Amino acid sequence: MKPKSQVNHLLRTLIFLSVLALFASACGGSTSSSTTSDDADSTTTDTVDDSATGDDAMEDEDAMDDAETEAEDTSDASDGDRTEVRWFVGLGTGSQDEQIDRQDAVVDAFNSSQDSIELVVEYIDNTTAKDVLATQIAAGNAPDIIGPVGLEGSNAFAGQYADLEPLIAAAEFDLSPFAGSEESYRTAEGALEGVPFATFPSGIFFNKDLFDEAGLPYPPAEYNADGTSLYGEGTEYEGDWTYDKLAEIAAILSVDAAGNDATSAAYDKANVVQFGFAHQWTSNPASLGTSFGAGRIEQADGSAQVPAEWVESYKWYQNLVHEVNAAPNSAQTASDLLAGNAFNSGNVAMASTHLWYTCCIADVGDAWDIGALPTHNGTLVSKLHGDTFRIHKDSENQQDAFTVLEYFFGDGALDLLDVYGGMPARPDIRDTYFAALDEQFPQGVNWDIIIEGLEYADSPNHQTGMPNFLEADARVKELEGPLLEDPDFDIDAAIAALEADLNALWAS
Amino acid sequence: MTIVFTGPDDREADGSTHRPLDGHGTLEKRERRWGLMFVTPWLLGLVLLFVIPLVLSLLMSFTNYELVDTDNQEVTWVGLDNWRRIFSDPDVANGLWVTMKFALMYLPISTLLPLGVAYLLTSERLWGRSLFRVLFYLPSMVPLVAAMIIWRFYLNSESGWFARLLRWVGFDPPNFLGDPAWVLPALILIGTWGIGNGIIIFIAALNGVPKELYEAARIDGANKWHLFRDVTWPMISPITFYNIIVTLVGLGQYFLVPFILNGAEGRPEGASKFYTMVFFQETFSFFQAGYGAALAWAMFIVVFALTVLLFWSAKFWVHYEFEER
Repeated sequence: MKPKSQVNHLLRTLIFLSVLALFASACGGSTSSSTTSDDADSTTTDTVDDSATGDDAMEDEDAMDDAETEAEDTSDASDGDRTEVRWFVGLGTGSQDEQIDRQDAVVDAFNSSQDSIELVVEYIDNTTAKDVLATQIAAGNAPDIIGPVGLEGSNAFAGQYADLEPLIAAAEFDLSPFAGSEESYRTAEGALEGVPFATFPSGIFFNKDLFDEAGLPYPPAEYNADGTSLYGEGTEYEGDWTYDKLAEIAAILSVDAAGNDATSAAYDKANVVQFGFAHQWTSNPASLGTSFGAGRIEQADGSAQVPAEWVESYKWYQNLVHEVNAAPNSAQTASDLLAGNAFNSGNVAMASTHLWYTCCIADVGDAWDIGALPTHNGTLVSKLHGDTFRIHKDSENQQDAFTVLEYFFGDGALDLLDVYGGMPARPDIRDTYFAALDEQFPQGVNWDIIIEGLEYADSPNHQTGMPNFLEADARVKELEGPLLEDPDFDIDAAIAALEADLNALWAS
Repeated sequence: MTIVFTGPDDREADGSTHRPLDGHGTLEKRERRWGLMFVTPWLLGLVLLFVIPLVLSLLMSFTNYELVDTDNQEVTWVGLDNWRRIFSDPDVANGLWVTMKFALMYLPISTLLPLGVAYLLTSERLWGRSLFRVLFYLPSMVPLVAAMIIWRFYLNSESGWFARLLRWVGFDPPNFLGDPAWVLPALILIGTWGIGNGIIIFIAALNGVPKELYEAARIDGANKWHLFRDVTWPMISPITFYNIIVTLVGLGQYFLVPFILNGAEGRPEGASKFYTMVFFQETFSFFQAGYGAALAWAMFIVVFALTVLLFWSAKFWVHYEFEER
């Protein structure tokens, strides 16, 4: 036996294999990244790294056509000097197929506008974006820029964002066009973690054809000074535009297969072919509750208490869905009739939703408009969503990342806002934005009612964070399913259980 | 394979061999070296991709490690806190209960149904056997996510084909995916789509039973039931055992179908919140990776214990022709 010799052989073999494996990995990595450098269209999760400019990529260029070669030459020539800034899209809007090409165009425009930064975008599907971002952060591979993202998406990553104030000061970025609205992005500790980019006020989207068919007046087109509005002035339906009035009109607009509406005793709830109303993608408990009044579950003393107006809102909607059957339940929303996008199906007369819904309204045709939101107990609440871009606190290129944000808020703003369907947070460019929307929806949509809604924005916002946000938010959202699915759902008992659970969670 | 020369020509008069068998022969050394070279990448992969992560995840289960630090909390050693929490977490209790109920319903079906179908598909009197085999296996080839989207439409209580069928025969269709009482039966119904693999394995097992055994049993007067009970079942019991083990391990990891259909919160009202979804939610939604690691290890221990129990039970019902186990 020569054990020493055997060990040496084994070691030599292992070292050889390890070196081989390292070479294989290195070569593999180079090939892979070289294909991703200019391939953002087809590869949504890959990133470009510096090795993309390696020999392999250069050799491959010979086979490309002139235009492609030229483009690659340009990028290769500058890659070595450029700082790579990674932009993560998907936590909010932005990762839909139809949005990707248009954002790529913005990225290309930025990259060709200067020669010190290489902006690289990663599109992650919204359903997995939170998990992917969490994994990237956990792996120490956080992106530089995250967005667009609203408050709710941001809450999930509280404590992960950089304070922009030093960057704003260094870049001498002018905040005055935002008219102080940036303060809503200031944390309790005083850090400014975002600058408002897009806002999404809400309104009542309505289908004019269905109203005409029923011989009903449209929802009000303007608010009074106090936020109230009058429905059907001069008609038999005249009355204050409240949620009760909306329910009354929604019942008339709900029709079964035999043509009976929901006010008729013959109305067949099992064969409804048209609904009067839907909370369009806004039926999560905080949003639904805020329709009737802004508030927070977390009280000043740190205890949990669901605002009384929220409970009233849940009961109102439960009645409309399960008793009157003038709004769809979950199964009806997912059915062929509504196909998951209720108002867009053309079979729902009114939908309460945000401006971002213009993203997904292609099938209903041009017979739609936006009307006033109803009041509850004389109070109007226009729920507001707001999107921004954030910089990760561990980014090593924060100032460069902010340079990208300057572009997003400046030259690239209108293009991106158009992609996201968001109203500019900067009032000075709103006219241009709505002019573009008018081209897209030439029927003459009442955008003014949306802008007016800003004056009645929910405060506190329904997406405001709360302690143990992730667990607490998940627990609150558990209300939504049974509310829309179970006709016998005991709301009062569920609220009591929710409050008890949240108190226990926050106490722990 | 190592070649060992043991023929009479290789032996000296005193009984020793020409070629040393202690590993120093040229051929053997060369084979050993090649063997090591072939096995080394696999061993490296095993250590780097499985053993180290497994050990790290076990260590992680004793810490308060968060996937994303949202509260500036330092990672500290918390001892058995995560493991104790498992026993007091109502979500875990619900997840285990849901998983157990599903397993009790699904395990017999996923064993007996493929066996029954395979039995029919091996019948010599069946016309178009190959066609039926393809048809039964076909669903297993459809990508799972695509299949789940189809199932969602199919089971919709308003416009789904199944609901229409039930209405046509006079029943009021339940809300399969939205009613706590119906969601598990619906998932089992969906699970029957994946029995193709089991059918193929059982067909192979049934075809492997020696025909002489049937002929001998028939001569002894056995009827069809006797043939199945006393010949077929014992002969295919190792395959049945294998299918049960594989299904059991799969049940411990059952996640994707309910996750796609009803989300990580296990709608409706947690009725489809399997144990794996509790793990997913804690780890990837709440970022509690330390607790998540403890949950994963706890499930591993449970499944491992059940597997050991099954192996122990095998001596009572699994027939090995040559008494191998």
